Amino acid sequence: MATETRRERAGDSATDLTLDTAAALAEEEHGPIEGRSPWFLAWRRLRRNWVALGSLILFVLIVLLCAFAPIYADRVAETTPNANHVTDRVRVGGELRDVISAGGTFTNENGELRVRPVTILGPTWWHAGGKFVLGADQNGRDVAVRLLYGGRNSLLVGIGSALICTLVAVILALLAGYFRGSTDWVITRFFDLIWAFPVILLAIALGSALAINGFHHFGLDIEAGSLWIPTIVISYVLIPYIGRPLRGQILSLREKEFVEAAIAQGSSARRIMFAEILPNVASSVLVFFTLIVANNILAEAALSFLGAGVQPPSPSWGTLIATGQERITTAPWLTLAPGLAIVLTVLALNIFGDGLRDALDPRAKVRIEH
Amino acid sequence: MSPRFRWRWWTSVAALALAILLLAAACGGGGDDESAGTTATQTTGGGSTKQQTFPNFRIVYDTGTDYLDPALSYTVQGWGAMWNVYLSLLGYKHIAGPDGATLVPALAEDMPDISADGKTYKLKLRQGLKYSNGKAVKASDFAYAIKRLFLVDSPGVGFFSNIVGAEKFAETKKGEISGITTNDQSRDITIKLTQAQGDFQNILATVFAGLIPTGTPNKDQSTTPIPSTGPYMIQSYTPNREFVLVRNPNFKPTENVPATNPDKMTFKIVEDDSAALQQVINGEGDYDFHPIPVDRLAGVQQKYGDQLKIYTPANTYYYFMNNRIKPFDNVKVRQAVNYAIDRNALVRLYGGLASPTENILPPTYPQYKKHNLYPFNLQKAKQLIQQAGATGTEVEVWGSNRETSQKPVEYLQDQLNKIGFKAKLKIIDASIYWSTIGNQKTKAAIGFADWFQDYPHPLDWFDVLLNGDRITETHNNNYSNYNNKKVNSEIASLKKEAELTDEVNGRWADLDEEIMKDAGWAPYANRQFTDFFSSDIDTSCYINHVLYQLDFSRVCKKQ
Repeated sequence: MATETRRERAGDSATDLTLDTAAALAEEEHGPIEGRSPWFLAWRRLRRNWVALGSLILFVLIVLLCAFAPIYADRVAETTPNANHVTDRVRVGGELRDVISAGGTFTNENGELRVRPVTILGPTWWHAGGKFVLGADQNGRDVAVRLLYGGRNSLLVGIGSALICTLVAVILALLAGYFRGSTDWVITRFFDLIWAFPVILLAIALGSALAINGFHHFGLDIEAGSLWIPTIVISYVLIPYIGRPLRGQILSLREKEFVEAAIAQGSSARRIMFAEILPNVASSVLVFFTLIVANNILAEAALSFLGAGVQPPSPSWGTLIATGQERITTAPWLTLAPGLAIVLTVLALNIFGDGLRDALDPRAKVRIEH
Repeated sequence: MSPRFRWRWWTSVAALALAILLLAAACGGGGDDESAGTTATQTTGGGSTKQQTFPNFRIVYDTGTDYLDPALSYTVQGWGAMWNVYLSLLGYKHIAGPDGATLVPALAEDMPDISADGKTYKLKLRQGLKYSNGKAVKASDFAYAIKRLFLVDSPGVGFFSNIVGAEKFAETKKGEISGITTNDQSRDITIKLTQAQGDFQNILATVFAGLIPTGTPNKDQSTTPIPSTGPYMIQSYTPNREFVLVRNPNFKPTENVPATNPDKMTFKIVEDDSAALQQVINGEGDYDFHPIPVDRLAGVQQKYGDQLKIYTPANTYYYFMNNRIKPFDNVKVRQAVNYAIDRNALVRLYGGLASPTENILPPTYPQYKKHNLYPFNLQKAKQLIQQAGATGTEVEVWGSNRETSQKPVEYLQDQLNKIGFKAKLKIIDASIYWSTIGNQKTKAAIGFADWFQDYPHPLDWFDVLLNGDRITETHNNNYSNYNNKKVNSEIASLKKEAELTDEVNGRWADLDEEIMKDAGWAPYANRQFTDFFSSDIDTSCYINHVLYQLDFSRVCKKQ
């Protein structure tokens, strides 16, 4: 009866998966009823969601490919991400071709001045022994190598900033939700202050300001070209996007009897926050984290595209798109490759994040608002 | 799988497929096709002298406009806009070709009366001149304009340092420059130099010497435009967005500064070269100042060949190497950099619209004598670095975020790493690039630079860019801080030569080679440029001035 009722309610969820109970599980397995942890039940639900699992596998594959970038660059492409091969020639399918042709002006037989345009080597698709698989860019650099190294930087910034953002947001939300009153007021105003600025504009302003001289305050010594700059900038501007919804959940949990019981037992505030309240929002935090990684990868691409993120010549998917747009009509692979990489990564993370949310709590209303 | 979930899944897959299709459709084919060029026309002398007015000339400009203050601007973009706004005592003919470099009186009645020793210049201001605000132009305004250069730390102060009393004024910033005497009643202007200077008339024709009202504040007036004497005045300026020039109601045309065609000129500042081109193609602009993006050049030639002009201004693109900062204080290191750069590769980075060079002067100069001191040789470069003990040194390579700067500095960084440095890039916004690297406090070690002639004389190159006696703390043009006493002395000697004889030209050519043996710079290219117009513009009026590129005031529209 209870299972059917919850199945009816679960019909509102994004997936067709029911809220498994121990009884339903026992019936399915033709065994005795055993207690199952919420995490186990969540894993079972997730296991059945082959789309979410497929997305996770895709994301892991992208991460692994990017992680092995140095091996690819060294053993396959035989180059480095910033090596210029402007006047080099490569043998593509037996034919010797310029990485970047000479071009120039010349006078024809009629005495007229004509321009011979420069062309850039397009994708060789393994016909050049692994060199320039995805073609070359305007400086004669291997696009495939830069794509993988760019992925490393984009993923590092995306995941790193998500970790920092989540950590800070959780702590602030716990403090605000547990202590309430003036603490809550101060922290909420801090969220409002950041939220009042358009995210990308704020990130560009901060990124641009730090791009020239770096950050050398409060005991921190970060050089201008460091990946820490975009990581910190992105994590800072997105704190309210996790902090606010979490604060709401914690405020609600704060009123529950188990919290009052813990207070009555004499537990310290720290213990209550981290041992009682935090486990109850852990599933939300996990889902937020997954979704914010995708969001941050997009933010990093946008910042780098605008010159306020990863600094040249270090590649990132955003900088590759920025440099590629200058040649979009004659060398479209320069923008297509990193663009597709971003699409696949963000899509994989979003689909997995949705699946994870449904698996952990199909009734949860976890969203990253923009 | 629930129906709702199934729907979401298919929606996601469809969205991904659509995105890929859209991207593929938006992009052209592969980049390996050679397209046949069609005729592009190189600039020749031309242009109509008859006035053909039209309401508004819409110019798609780039981010190189540093200031709209005649004392402070020192870019092609700033001068290109202001040479029709702030007239000097002398000027140049508004015609194309080499004759465009002919000096003519502008605000002066006549060419200067120069004393036999070449040290005293006498001029008389034309009668009845008024600024755009109606105020009378006085002879003393010239003295004030030159004083103001020193008071605002103008990049042009070095041009006028030879005037008697100028150096003392530069130190004290008080009183007057004793070498300039004026009489507002008789409109006489007398300038005394400490020694004869062969290019002083050219200097009097620069925008730096443009007359401005006495009392103009001694700080940047870009956004509070100074009243003008030329055919146009600045109506408004929003930095990095737009500025507008309108007719000066108090300007009276003369033979040397003729009546102009556009009633108004709107300069819209656009950063992206491709966006700028597209605006003109779409009819949102009349002229694209930007070089046409390399990958669009073939298509533009084919479709809009009649609207495209290619020209070669006198320019040199080079890497500066700061002699005051290790390791570039060591000649072996500087020579190594010259050996390490493949100039033919750099030409390709400019889409082939360039010629490789190791010379300081461009080939258009009679003083140009090609030398080949540094054939590309990475091995030799590495050896020199090792001999200098500079292997492993960390260096910062400076460049601006414009494609014409960023690509060559990315190339340079790679080459420096190949020869043993640990080079990192420092890319900053183009609008602040020159003032940043020209500030000694920045301590920019090595980076991108270029130079377009202010006037056709070797002094505009050697004296401005490589004379150690003209290094300044801010707005410095000698980015290499090159200070070779023998070279300084030879420049000072050549400066006194009133005429560019064959013997003098030979000395300039030798100086070019001497400096390059000492690796003062690492020059790499002389570039060609494009002018692209909308279909409304009549290109028979086209005047590409030898100093200021397109003469905006002479452009006309099809009737």
